[in-house]
Amino acid sequence: MYGDATNWNEDEYRESILKEREIQTRTVFRTAWAPNPNPDAFVVASSDGTLAFHSMSSLVSQSAAFGYSKGEDFMVAAPEGVVRAHEGPAYDVKFYGEDEDALLLSCGDDGRVRGWKWRDFADSTENLVKPLLELTNPQHKGPWGALSPMPEINAISVDPQSASVYTAAGDSCAYCWDMESGKIKMTFKGHSDYLHCLVSRSSASQILTGSEDGTARIWDCKTGKCIKVIGSQEKKSRFRISSIALDESESWLACGQGKNIAVWNLPASECVSTISSPAHVQDVMFDEKQILSVGAEPLLRRFDLNGALLSQIHCAPSSAFSVSLHPAGVIAVGGYGGLVDVISQFGSHLCTFRSSLL
Amino acid sequence: MDAFRDSILQRGPIESFALKTVQDFIQPQRQTKLAQDENQMLENMLRTLLQQLVASAAQSGEQIMQYGQLIDDDDDNNVHGHGQIPHLLDVVLYLCEKEHVEGGMIFQLLEDLTEMSTMKNCKDVFGYIESKQDILGKQELFARGKLVMLRTCNQLLRRLSKANDVVFCGRILMFLAHFFPLSERSAVNIKGVFNTSNETKYEKDPPKGRISVDFNFYKTFWSLQEYFCNPASLTTASTKWQKFSSSLAVVLNTFDAQPLSEEEGEANSLEEEAATFNIKYLTSSKLMGLELKDSSFRRHILLQCLILFDYLRAPGKNDKDLPSETMKEELKSCEDRVKKLLEITPPKGKEFLRAVEHILEREKNWVWWKRDGCQPFEKQPIENKSPNAGHKRRRQRWRLGNKELSQLWRWAEQNPNAEKDSQRVKTPDIADYWKPLAEDMDPSAGIEDAYHHKNNRVYCWKGLRFAARQDLEGFSRFTDLGIEGVVPVELLPPEVRSKYQARPNEKAKRAKKDETKGGSLEEETKAVSAEGALVGGSTSEAEGEVGRGESEAMESDAIADTPTPEEQQRLGGSDTDNGQEAGQIEDTETEEGGLMDTDLNHPPMPIS
Repeated sequence: MYGDATNWNEDEYRESILKEREIQTRTVFRTAWAPNPNPDAFVVASSDGTLAFHSMSSLVSQSAAFGYSKGEDFMVAAPEGVVRAHEGPAYDVKFYGEDEDALLLSCGDDGRVRGWKWRDFADSTENLVKPLLELTNPQHKGPWGALSPMPEINAISVDPQSASVYTAAGDSCAYCWDMESGKIKMTFKGHSDYLHCLVSRSSASQILTGSEDGTARIWDCKTGKCIKVIGSQEKKSRFRISSIALDESESWLACGQGKNIAVWNLPASECVSTISSPAHVQDVMFDEKQILSVGAEPLLRRFDLNGALLSQIHCAPSSAFSVSLHPAGVIAVGGYGGLVDVISQFGSHLCTFRSSLL
Repeated sequence: MDAFRDSILQRGPIESFALKTVQDFIQPQRQTKLAQDENQMLENMLRTLLQQLVASAAQSGEQIMQYGQLIDDDDDNNVHGHGQIPHLLDVVLYLCEKEHVEGGMIFQLLEDLTEMSTMKNCKDVFGYIESKQDILGKQELFARGKLVMLRTCNQLLRRLSKANDVVFCGRILMFLAHFFPLSERSAVNIKGVFNTSNETKYEKDPPKGRISVDFNFYKTFWSLQEYFCNPASLTTASTKWQKFSSSLAVVLNTFDAQPLSEEEGEANSLEEEAATFNIKYLTSSKLMGLELKDSSFRRHILLQCLILFDYLRAPGKNDKDLPSETMKEELKSCEDRVKKLLEITPPKGKEFLRAVEHILEREKNWVWWKRDGCQPFEKQPIENKSPNAGHKRRRQRWRLGNKELSQLWRWAEQNPNAEKDSQRVKTPDIADYWKPLAEDMDPSAGIEDAYHHKNNRVYCWKGLRFAARQDLEGFSRFTDLGIEGVVPVELLPPEVRSKYQARPNEKAKRAKKDETKGGSLEEETKAVSAEGALVGGSTSEAEGEVGRGESEAMESDAIADTPTPEEQQRLGGSDTDNGQEAGQIEDTETEEGGLMDTDLNHPPMPIS
């Protein structure tokens, strides 16, 4: 083979190079564990608009080398199933429901929320599964019937009890959708810049949103009014609220802003501690009474509520955009390079991979 | 036999009847020392008797060491307050100790006794052995019985369960350690053979049905035990070392990633650990998560690492077995990581690490000892050939000549709080200090010379030092007027005052004369020398040491009431120069001052 150029196909070679580049420059924006007591299946939403579904057992059996070390070539894993969900990047993916009938919801830059039946999605191998649900963001009407560009959707949050889905949109509004009718139930207006993140607090029928304008707001879902603004709007220099997370009891709030994470006790409505980290925080998450955070550095940090650093684990993506936790304690970290690093409950690296393209 | 039994078990001080009984029953040829066959006969009799006693004790269901104990024996001083068997042993021990009978007899009896007893009774028997350790360990007895004793102990150890009777096993080992000399080689693993049969089994295949979460890690983790079990394998093949170090890195990364909190460390406190002591940890993959949260489990693993590292670096193997340079570096970095991890593992990580380091350090000494062929520790007294050489080497060199001075020098650093002490002695104010002398100078006081302060040299010297620091003008008067001139004029009684006031003017005149004498010098220099003379009282400055003169001029500036026009001009002319000089002077002065301050921080500072 070596030196033999008879069957040289330049186009093919060019394509392969491009494909490789494309894989390496992708970003994983969100990972989500499928509802299953075992940490097996999870869905990866990445910047090329695809949703890829991976199975842990096959990943682990594929990964020959345990752990991971710097400079290593990461495994490229073929997903069990993949679907092109959005034009442009897919920003968030969530499961609606707990059991096998759960819906897989994703949103993206094209301003749409699409939903699939999880069972169909997981079972089919071809990538032509039709979405069961499609919600499209409203466009603002201007004079003479001009329509604004389609605002993107940056985050979704679900509340199955009230059959609602909340979306954080690029037109600085949050929307509440009725899952039965597919219509907008409520619009939450008030932020002065686009929304980054959103989380629903169903116990108090509230939602919390974080925006580029540097504030986080608590909204009442019944009235659609803003109850509280966290952070001041005046200072232009304030960093955006990049991530927001509630704990299981929905009484603690972690709010990533710039390089800091503010921890709020919601019943007392007071900021308990502010955690600062050397890099910008890009996602936070509660693990019982601990906070997991990732940011623009290849580290997964774990803090307690007082802000003391408990541990930091090196992970593969040089900048991580998503951390998601399975109830069994397994953590998936996704980020730049299309990389996903799965970390076991012991803190060891279960597997690290790039999912291959469509 | 019964008669012998009654006779030997009679109550009363052993010394009174023991020998007599032996003599009665054996009828030896020599009165106090038995011949060989007589010994044998006595031994047979004693062994039979012991057997009888144990049998009857077993029948009665009593513990053998308590069998035949008299209930009414409440007298504490009565040494026979225990059972018949210990009494018998005491008698035999006495006979052996006095060398009436062969020394090995007591050991023979003890061996019989342990072989006849149940494990529970053995504990009591062993307690007896421990209590008589001093006598049994005497040179003459030890030499006769050490092998029997070793056999007895080893038999006991073999009968005991390693998992359940750890305390008793430990007692036996402790006894052996005390009983045999430190350099006894019989228990030393001279060749350093590893117990490679101590294999840690773990699951090789992931369990079916359940999604095994981190089986790779599980396998990596337990595979380390293979290396710990046989460390010698690491040095022979570098690939193995590579594999080991990468596996270890994974494990350490995981430990790093999940530091244990203080509470988790507290959760399994030491008492609890003692209750649930296990020889080996279980290796089920289901336990992995729990084990990783267990601080003592973690410590075991880390300690294994440290022991292994120590082994790899230990000398005494062939040169080719020694680790290579790169391996040494890796060893070092691994060791540092392990130590850091041990330090942060609660509870009391730092203390634990310190203890471990200490133990490993001692272990190293043993390794050296073994390498050198297990030399006995008793050292021959070294001949004192050159007492001087030894003495010389011991003497410490003092930085400042002798101990006292060095201590004095360091006094300040050693007493950092002295500065804040409200009672500390400060440099006295010059006015206060000179008061006694000023009073003495009053002629009306009529102080005799012997008591006059001016004749107290220490007082004067101290005063001069203070004056040099606080009152340069006064200090300068010393040259002309002696010590009394230094006393500030205000302090002096009015009648004496004039005497010490008038002088400076005279002095100035004299200086003027000097000036005219050295007329060939430049004007400036002359002025300078005048000032110099005024201040320092020395005319030698006229040699043209401009810098020095200037500096003194600066000082005098403040003193002189009316500076001459020349002077002013000069001062104005060389302003910058002056500034520099002044700065320098100040520098040196503050430096000196600093020194003085530190010296004077302390009340007991003896100036004299």
